[in-house]
Amino acid sequence: MTPISRSHSHRVAVTAMGVVSPLGSGAAETTAALRAGRDCVSPVERFDVSRTRSKTAGQLPASFHAESDDRKAARLHPASQVMIAAAQEAQKADGGFQPEFAIIGTTSGGMSFGEQFFRAQVTKEKPARRAGWLANYMPQKAVLDAQAACGFSAPAQIIANACASGTNALGHAFALVRAGMFRRILCGGYDIISELVFVGFDSLQASTPEKIRPFDKSRTGLVLGEGAALFFLEEWESAVSRSAPIVAEITGYGISTDNHHLTQPHPSGIGPKQAMERALASANLQPSEVDYINAHGTATAFNDATEGTAIAQIFGAKTPVSSTKSMMGHSLGAAGSIEAAFSILALQGQFLPPNINYQESDPAWQLDVIANEAREARVQRVLSNSFGFGGTNASIVIEKPKEATA
Amino acid sequence: MSIRIAGMGWVTPLGADLETVWQRIANGDVAEAKPMSNPETGRVHHCIQVPPKLVEHLARNPRLRRSSAISYFAVAAALRAMSNAGIEIGSRAAERTAVIFGVSDGGVIYTRKFYDQIVKQGANAASPLLFPETVYNAPASHLAAQLGIDGSSYTLVGDASVGLSAVQLGEQLLALGEADHCVVVACEELDWILCEAYRDWRFTRTPLAEGAAALVLSRSGRFSIETAGAAPFMSQREAGAAVDQVLERLASRVGSVDFMVSCDNGTFIDRAVAAGVNRWFPGLPEPASHPKRALGEMLAAGGLVNLIFAALRLEKAGGSRALVPVVGFNHQADAALVEMVR
Repeated sequence: MTPISRSHSHRVAVTAMGVVSPLGSGAAETTAALRAGRDCVSPVERFDVSRTRSKTAGQLPASFHAESDDRKAARLHPASQVMIAAAQEAQKADGGFQPEFAIIGTTSGGMSFGEQFFRAQVTKEKPARRAGWLANYMPQKAVLDAQAACGFSAPAQIIANACASGTNALGHAFALVRAGMFRRILCGGYDIISELVFVGFDSLQASTPEKIRPFDKSRTGLVLGEGAALFFLEEWESAVSRSAPIVAEITGYGISTDNHHLTQPHPSGIGPKQAMERALASANLQPSEVDYINAHGTATAFNDATEGTAIAQIFGAKTPVSSTKSMMGHSLGAAGSIEAAFSILALQGQFLPPNINYQESDPAWQLDVIANEAREARVQRVLSNSFGFGGTNASIVIEKPKEATA
Repeated sequence: MSIRIAGMGWVTPLGADLETVWQRIANGDVAEAKPMSNPETGRVHHCIQVPPKLVEHLARNPRLRRSSAISYFAVAAALRAMSNAGIEIGSRAAERTAVIFGVSDGGVIYTRKFYDQIVKQGANAASPLLFPETVYNAPASHLAAQLGIDGSSYTLVGDASVGLSAVQLGEQLLALGEADHCVVVACEELDWILCEAYRDWRFTRTPLAEGAAALVLSRSGRFSIETAGAAPFMSQREAGAAVDQVLERLASRVGSVDFMVSCDNGTFIDRAVAAGVNRWFPGLPEPASHPKRALGEMLAAGGLVNLIFAALRLEKAGGSRALVPVVGFNHQADAALVEMVR
């Protein structure tokens, strides 16, 4: 570690970001899709879904999964390819950034290569790519590849806190920069849909054969998504001194653990409530000062009930809420980071992304759900939630930068 | 920054009691590698497993009754470390403890079984009881539930260096004031698919092994630990430079150490560490005892096992400072200094 000073609380700037999701590659495509409320969920064709209830997902363009003539590129898992694309987008926006540390979230690394390795055992084949599958299956490989593509070589923590991983990565990076323990951190998250994880959620009946309808009275479950988002975090004065762009400021982070059950939150909503309250306290904000909540909003009966209850308890019915998973599904370890990117795009564009497929409000709570269409709005502060298996809950506060850069 | 080790615990193929296992390793005992066969191909691997009797009492715990071995190992080692630190479960001190779990391969037994069901019986036959336990952070969740914590719980993944990454995260959480103690656990469980994979990808003459090691980190304790900070590498060719970098950092801070606990496992790592040690800590005697020779290659757990072994050797055999390099197969090299607090 490179300690600078722990005596002060430092402001934390986001100098650049890169995002790749079913809504698009890069800020421009993604903003257009968010504003349009584009439904990017489509039938799964990558593996057999004839015997699953759910048959759709928010998927990246086929180009990320295509065979390549380039031998080196052909060995890479799609996870590496999306991470490289996200990292290069960020680097294009801020070419002067050199991270001292990296914190990346994921839940399943290059799982589909692990699946291929297992299938090779069953079929008793020894294909030439077997060792390549193993080398590229590990969660750290996509992080190494993204760093190499940008000429970075920072030590990395890879957080696997299930669906909260992406927010944990961003939140912990924020905490370290704010405390003066690092000046510049590369952070974010990634995940790629695999058969094992797809069937896993299907087996739990957490995924739906219908449209994903977060916070709707008749919601029936989630659909999976995939992608990556990466951020360059930098101590504010350091960013200003090198005339770096500043696209957002991170001001708060809260984490909590709910021990009720491995896959189900406590019905009271205590876990999400603690995470949101801790993030607000960390940002020194009152609930009324938050302009938009990008909810975890998986559209499962349990998540939305507990999150909806917790949001209503803290914020009442006045703060607009949406789950952008309605447009692209749940990208697990990437979700928190992708949704943080969406939140920054909302701050930049001064609009509120919609919660599509919304039909009827749930009488269990009163929320201002941004139903079906984006809203133009004055947006200064956003709170973004991520909650995961194992009871891990995380919230972050992101703000529009108050000062122009040098 | 240097932090303190307030408690230690492990679950290893040679036992779970700190003193007994240390003595057995020091005496040169070697855990027996037994055959584990791949039912698909018939190929046989020799690996070292934890005796079931060391963790079978946890099967009665309602939260753990459906768990895989990895959760049993993690909870058993962590509870031993908490007890060693004098922290009672259910106390306010336990609640102010953060959980940090480090792993390389995770719940491979349930993951392989779950995918086996998908491949052979179809997706509609896959058991919903297995899937949640395949998630990397399942052991950390079970451990947090045992400790009753509602604060920070993190799971880190990576190669064998992840144990020291977890120690560094603990150091960060203590510095940030997010916890008063951090229980850092690194763990691995064995399955034939894992043996098959490592044999294909990174063949090592040291048999693969399973188990867990746990440290309770705090602001006070019997030992101090100082990590170098990891150096990443992309290929075996780059490993030497990464090892060199971390050892240089430690050498510049302390000059000399009394002994090293080696992470040699019969691969490229041995050459990288030997070259770095010769350069930055010349004249260091050949390690007298070697946990990996006794216990096998425990992957994520191996780094913390070596840290505990170093601390116990300082306490029992003397010396003031030990060097513990920890190098993984494809991510990072790191190293730590362990000292007795006098």
